[in-house]
Amino acid sequence: MRKKRLSIAAAAALLLGLTACGDNGGSSDEIAIGAVHPLSGPLAGVGGMMNDGAELAVDDINAAGGIKSIHGAKLTLMDGDSEGSAAVGQTEARRLVSDGAVALIGTYQSDVTENVAAMAERSDVPLVIDVAIDDKILSHGYKYVFRIQPNASTMGASGAEVLSQIGKATGQDVTKVSYMHIEGAFGESTYQAFRKEAEKQGIQVVRNVSYPATNFSDATTAVTQALSGDPDVLVVSGYYPDNLLIAEAVKAINPNIKAVFGIASGAYDDTSFPSDGGAAANGVLSANYHYSATSKRAQDIRKRFQEKYGRPMETAAMLSYQAVEVIAAGLEKSGSNDPVALQNAIANIRIDDTLLEFKGPIEFDDKGENKNATVIVTQVQKGRIEQVFPEEFATSDLIFPARDH
Amino acid sequence: MVKILIFAIMAVGWNIMSGYGGMFSFGHAAFFGIGAYSVAYLLSAHGLNPWFGMLFGAMLAAIVGTVFAFLCLRYKLEGSYFALATFAFAQMFFLLTENLEFLNRTEGINIPILQDDSWLMMQFHPTSYNYYWIGLFLLVAAVAVSIWFVHSRPGRFTTAIRDDEVAAESLGIAVLRHRLITVALSCAITAIAGGFYTQYYMFVGPNQGFGMQVSVDAIVPAVIGGVGTIWGPLIGAVVVGGLSETIADLVRNPPAGLEFLQGLSGLDVAIYAILLIIIVVFLPKGIYGTIRERLRK
Repeated sequence: MRKKRLSIAAAAALLLGLTACGDNGGSSDEIAIGAVHPLSGPLAGVGGMMNDGAELAVDDINAAGGIKSIHGAKLTLMDGDSEGSAAVGQTEARRLVSDGAVALIGTYQSDVTENVAAMAERSDVPLVIDVAIDDKILSHGYKYVFRIQPNASTMGASGAEVLSQIGKATGQDVTKVSYMHIEGAFGESTYQAFRKEAEKQGIQVVRNVSYPATNFSDATTAVTQALSGDPDVLVVSGYYPDNLLIAEAVKAINPNIKAVFGIASGAYDDTSFPSDGGAAANGVLSANYHYSATSKRAQDIRKRFQEKYGRPMETAAMLSYQAVEVIAAGLEKSGSNDPVALQNAIANIRIDDTLLEFKGPIEFDDKGENKNATVIVTQVQKGRIEQVFPEEFATSDLIFPARDH
Repeated sequence: MVKILIFAIMAVGWNIMSGYGGMFSFGHAAFFGIGAYSVAYLLSAHGLNPWFGMLFGAMLAAIVGTVFAFLCLRYKLEGSYFALATFAFAQMFFLLTENLEFLNRTEGINIPILQDDSWLMMQFHPTSYNYYWIGLFLLVAAVAVSIWFVHSRPGRFTTAIRDDEVAAESLGIAVLRHRLITVALSCAITAIAGGFYTQYYMFVGPNQGFGMQVSVDAIVPAVIGGVGTIWGPLIGAVVVGGLSETIADLVRNPPAGLEFLQGLSGLDVAIYAILLIIIVVFLPKGIYGTIRERLRK
């Protein structure tokens, strides 16, 4: 009996030992980039689209001759599925790094990104964040983490700035606003930054209403509460479903306000919002980072994306595309597939022909934030998302006040 | 791989209380989370090294577990009612952390990242085998403790109480005291698994620490391998861990003919569920428990 017990124990130990010896692959003429996005679960739609965006970028770069400074080395994309969870995202990032990824992109959600960023930093492998807004991610002094899009506080502050400019440009009074935001770090930090800048611009926040991230199925009460301060404009920060509900509630209540104005809203500049929202979407403004509708190159990419994947390419996917380009440019510059050299190259990179509507080239500051990341204002007009402000980026004229009674 | 070790340590801990002690716990996440958060909090807020954090977490979990079990047993909460209470208890911790500012609420705690490997701070390059060795060491220690416990006087008393409480009591065994010792030991081992989790993932949030999934993760390997046996939880952890790896690979790169599996998440959970049902119906003593029984015959 005793012997048998021992032999079973030995077998178990052997099994443990065997599975520990994983493989460590990655050939030298191929350079692997790891992408961590939510490919399953409730965010699978956007995650899959972002992966497609990254894949398109890899294909484009390979078709153009690969990384020339490394003998035309080809890029490959390895997928990781975060399932929308921080722990899974990190496990996936770890797997991608041990499978030989020289750089990572991702991850759409701030909490997942926070974890993947820690992993990347610890592994000395650069992470180029495509979408993730929370300021906190880059507040730890990480060297290997870079972000292309503006962070929450930049978005809040520039949102207040453009709102005030819109008021001045159209000769309309914008002095009182109500702010509605989703609970949690994203909504809270965006709101705080907005309020600070708004005060400087002479805009008063008369009501601040936060609503829960889950089980938010009717916005009427929250919207009524926000409107009770008699604001000129209702400002909204949140994700797609909740922001759609808010737009619908505003339509139903039909208050005397000049506009619904999204800041970093997941809905108001999304291609499906005009049809989902119908009349409620009409005229809704959104201050957000946005793919460049004025750039020929971005237009071409969006066209080919639509042809290849059969759906429109939203800004998030364009950011994934851009993130792969940043890594490719870093590889080109460093001339090696060593992640440490790559970090150094990306830290000093400058990309002029950006695919997003930014105020300048992509350059990273010492925290890893893109110095020139900024927001532009879009508006739903005749069932389409149009860029309306500032004028240099405009594809259509701004309509303000944006609501009629 | 390291994940399997963490599961295994947790299952070994769970097994002491629920397998040998007969007090079925559906809330071991509470103690796992206490261990995980102790390390995370002491390290990030006070710079204390994680070895100490683990020890502290184990002690705290043992105390909390003992107080909880005392209240339950004192008021004769037994069987499925006890299991329900443990479940509620874990859930309570979950909600508590979500609302405690010093534990960073829903955002969780990231431990500070070092530039270099450090044994003292238990932090290495993420692909380092050192994590594996530490996990293995902790597991061996946990198994050694459980072997020692089962063969010790209190351990024998504990199984006697499990098998027949009234008979044990009439023989003069201090029922409550021995049950509490069992609980304390079980909670401490589970907390160690939690502390190690934090170090390996460099992060813990309410879901990772106190989520319902964690309680299930502690139970499943033990049930599959064999409740109330020393080696059952280990075999169960290897089966469950190996299975989840295989399925993850399968879903990522499905072989020809199975392309529809591409990107299908949740398949592993579905297969666990089936496996669990099969085991409970056909091998109620678990894989190891059944094999042992056959061999004895």
